[in-house]
Amino acid sequence: MTTQTLWILMPEMALAFTAVAIYLAGAFVASRGIWAWRAGGGIVVAMALLATQSVQAMAGPVTGDALALWTRWAALAVGLLLVMMAGRNREPDAPEYVGSLLLAVVGVMLVGTAQDIVLVFLGLELVSIPTYLLLYMGHGGPAPQESTLKYFFLSVVASAIVLYGLSFLYGAAGSTDLPTIAARLIEGPERGAPVLGVAEIGLILIFAGLGFKLAAVPLHFYAPDVYQGTTHLNAAYLSVVPKAAALIALVRLVVEGMPGVETSAWRIAMAMAAVTMTYGNVVALWQTNVRRLMAYSSIAHGGYILIAVAVGLAAGKGGSHPSALSDGIAAALFYLAVYSVASVGVFAALAFLSPRGKQIDHLDELAGLGRTCPGTAAAMAVLLFSLAGIPPLAGFWGKLCVFAGALNVSGGTGGLHPWFVSLAVLGVLNAAVAAAYYLRIVGVMYFRFPLGTPRPDGGPGSWTAMILCTLLTIAIGLHAGPLLRACEKASPEDMNAPPIQAQLESD
Amino acid sequence: MFICGPFLLDNDPYYRFLSLMGELLLSTLLLPMAGAVMVGGDYRRARRVALITALVVAVMAAVLVFSFPAGSTAPFAAVDVAWLGTDAGPIDVRLSLGLDGLSVWLFGLTALLSVVAVTVGWEAVRQQASLYYRLLMLLQAGMLGVFAARDIILFYVFFEFTLIPLFFLIGIWGSEQRRYAANKFFLFTLAGSVLTFLGLLAVVLWDYHHSGTGRMTFSIAELTEHLAVGPIDPGVQMAVFLALFAGFAIKVPLFPLHTWLPLAHVEAPAAGSVLLAGVLLKIGTYGFLRFALPLAPEAVVTAMPWLLSLSVAAILYGGLVALAQKDMKRLIAYSSVSHMGFCMLGLFALNALGTQGSLLQMVNHGLATGGLFALVGMIYERYHTRQIGDYGGLARRMPRAAFFMLVLTLSSIGLPGLGGFAGELLILVGMFDRAWAGAVPAGWQMAYRVFAVGAVAGVVVGAWYMLWLVQRVFFGPLREPEHRSTDETTSLPTDLNARETATLAPLVVLTLWIGVWPSFFLDRASPTLDRLTEPVQRVLERRQTEASGCHAHARVGMQVEVANMSTQAWTWHPENENCRYPQEVSTS
Repeated sequence: MTTQTLWILMPEMALAFTAVAIYLAGAFVASRGIWAWRAGGGIVVAMALLATQSVQAMAGPVTGDALALWTRWAALAVGLLLVMMAGRNREPDAPEYVGSLLLAVVGVMLVGTAQDIVLVFLGLELVSIPTYLLLYMGHGGPAPQESTLKYFFLSVVASAIVLYGLSFLYGAAGSTDLPTIAARLIEGPERGAPVLGVAEIGLILIFAGLGFKLAAVPLHFYAPDVYQGTTHLNAAYLSVVPKAAALIALVRLVVEGMPGVETSAWRIAMAMAAVTMTYGNVVALWQTNVRRLMAYSSIAHGGYILIAVAVGLAAGKGGSHPSALSDGIAAALFYLAVYSVASVGVFAALAFLSPRGKQIDHLDELAGLGRTCPGTAAAMAVLLFSLAGIPPLAGFWGKLCVFAGALNVSGGTGGLHPWFVSLAVLGVLNAAVAAAYYLRIVGVMYFRFPLGTPRPDGGPGSWTAMILCTLLTIAIGLHAGPLLRACEKASPEDMNAPPIQAQLESD
Repeated sequence: MFICGPFLLDNDPYYRFLSLMGELLLSTLLLPMAGAVMVGGDYRRARRVALITALVVAVMAAVLVFSFPAGSTAPFAAVDVAWLGTDAGPIDVRLSLGLDGLSVWLFGLTALLSVVAVTVGWEAVRQQASLYYRLLMLLQAGMLGVFAARDIILFYVFFEFTLIPLFFLIGIWGSEQRRYAANKFFLFTLAGSVLTFLGLLAVVLWDYHHSGTGRMTFSIAELTEHLAVGPIDPGVQMAVFLALFAGFAIKVPLFPLHTWLPLAHVEAPAAGSVLLAGVLLKIGTYGFLRFALPLAPEAVVTAMPWLLSLSVAAILYGGLVALAQKDMKRLIAYSSVSHMGFCMLGLFALNALGTQGSLLQMVNHGLATGGLFALVGMIYERYHTRQIGDYGGLARRMPRAAFFMLVLTLSSIGLPGLGGFAGELLILVGMFDRAWAGAVPAGWQMAYRVFAVGAVAGVVVGAWYMLWLVQRVFFGPLREPEHRSTDETTSLPTDLNARETATLAPLVVLTLWIGVWPSFFLDRASPTLDRLTEPVQRVLERRQTEASGCHAHARVGMQVEVANMSTQAWTWHPENENCRYPQEVSTS
């Protein structure tokens, strides 16, 4: 623990301090409206502190490399959007709510900076535990409580599985420091195969545990119930923050930390991706509850992200001139970013549209929105088209990167890799299936007559978040370059040469 | 390397002219977008803005079309700006626009039909009018962009983007089954086009790995050039072709993938039908010409017999189903299936005549069918029914409408002197040439001749259902459906007014022009078409050589003979009788 470590962790500390201060002061201050502002202030301070940092790789438990920086900026930006949406919280537990939100953001940031498996796990738990609070505080009534309990129990099991996996990793390498683990695993084969076998057990367990957070099939089954039983704000949170934490943890633990087991890793990721996106998209077709539908949609998007992870594991940076179209991890980061913006935007729009004391649940409640609230309907249509991957919106570039990456994985003689081509074909067909249910929402909004006069009561915060997300979606769609470049820079270096060639020959 | 010339040769007046044209081309795309943003207010204001925009764009497009030089293959009016590149990375996606001898006609057609689309709903659209015209202008920008794009990503962006406005146009202003039709249209097209996208990406990545430039170029021209030198592996080519086929064949639509079309046409508002039939279907055939032929020539040649079978099936099936229709819009929709079958037949006859005819047929079908849909829309506005059985003898009530109907019908069935004749004739000659005088894969000789004759039968069926439609609706004793106009001021349906006449007149003039002077178009189009079909021609020649070499070797067994025949085949020419020799060897 050096001063440099502390310096790197300044934004996290500032944010955690804000959260604790809000927790404490909430007990004494009666006014409820100000906490979101305070939390937003904390995030801005953290951003200011982060802005003073540049990319600096260092040894020790934390690092300030490009991926860390990217993760923290992304986490803070999403945190800001969520805090905006939380502005209209009239419950007495408003300070606890925004405080927990901030702590979860700190958790994601920690996962991003961690270079030590203990710290990675700490970050993941710092995401999980506030999530229980958030889900519980979101809403009264039995259904939310049931969904919260469901999430709690499953999440605890998932954490235990990750921890168990990490113990195997420690057992294989004899260290908790990720670069050291990586170095020892590369030497592994020379020191005897059993070491790698142990690492592979760890790998499977880590995938399983993180798969829960990513809502990947078969660990997705909590998501529809939990989304349906909670608020739009919580659903927005769940669809983004745990997924981001899981993806970054996957990159840190598996891509960076476990070279030498990529063969198993990409196969697991590929199988999970194929099943996850197909299941999510197909089941979403039958949903009539908006949050349940969006839950399945978020499951499906987890699947697309896993395609990119599989590409990253199989092909590394994808050649001597890496770009987001060949580098799976850069594609995954980019996809996560554009998906997050659109998903948060959709939930912000739904939160904005919800009347006082009630939430929009059924799709029919959106009927005729194109006439009664043209602005909101247009924003939501843009966000949904982006989720469907229709150009020229941000989601299109995400899908471009993911599928180009999959096609770019070379098989045998520099041609196409049959498995990855199949995955890409399955992926694009899935995109077409997904368009069906996004279009259904758009169709309900525009093609049907209004059933009543909507009384939007989401407050200016939700409205601002929605507009910001819509503008970002359009802006990234028209000018994807800067974000793509940032993601390319954030993608970690290859620990080891692209392994797929050798594997193919040995297969 | 494709940055437009004017920066290099600033003082040359011709380059200054080209750069000016580039700016003009860019404005034709930006103007509708700007119009879409600015339009607002009630329907009067909205439609005025839309009309002015469409007219200005049409004039600019006309300038581009008429200043297009004959006999050139160079991109005309090129604009090229980096869009998505990375610092050190290889990605090179560009905002690259330009016209060539293929796209310029479809570009002009789009600009013209956009004006028709605005005027055809002039009175009918009152509800949410500003949204309607906004979507119409966005659709216009998207369609113009599809034909002007010279970068694969840009092409795909415009290609997909056209779906969104049309989805809303059908879904909001369509008739009874509009929601179902809008969804089906969108999903059908999307399902195909995502596969097309994968195919195009595969081409780009192949080129990236094999061209040795270290740059991932998305420029269509550059890819075509590279792949002409080092073609894609045949196996991969087939995969690429199938992927391209999925999207473009649905768009055309080729039998049996046409099921979305009648529904979308019937349910769409008149403007939607005009643009759908007039422009959007052409994106399919355009895609085949632009991408499939030059990028996957081996696969195209391999798939040729099957593509021709499907085209002929589309011609005959579309025509026969059209005969049985009771709804005017449905009838014209099925006639589109048949006519687009002709376009595909000409295209995949894979000779110069066929592709030229195909291009003429594309433009002519756009004019004729676009006009017919507009006309049906005008009749529907007066009587609120499209059932053929409800009408009779309308020529007495609406002589002008009858005139336009007849001219467009005659053009559509290929009366000499009108556009349809030029197109269909060239297509049929191209097909006959292929069947009787061209290279035909072994075992398909007879089938090809049947195709050619079947296509002629398709022309006859086409004349039958179209003329029968005109006879039933416009001639015989006057029979009008109960008049249910929502507008109280008009007591009896009147003939076409000045606005409607002005809408249809340019279409008739143009179709006459194509019919009388097709060489104006062909002179400008054929160099580009030849270039696009050149890789396919090379593959055909090579297969010819291989086949002849093989058979000669087997039958004669003399090396000298083999060498002789190879040289003959390499200098193969359509007029050369020798080109049939290997086939006769194989069939005898």
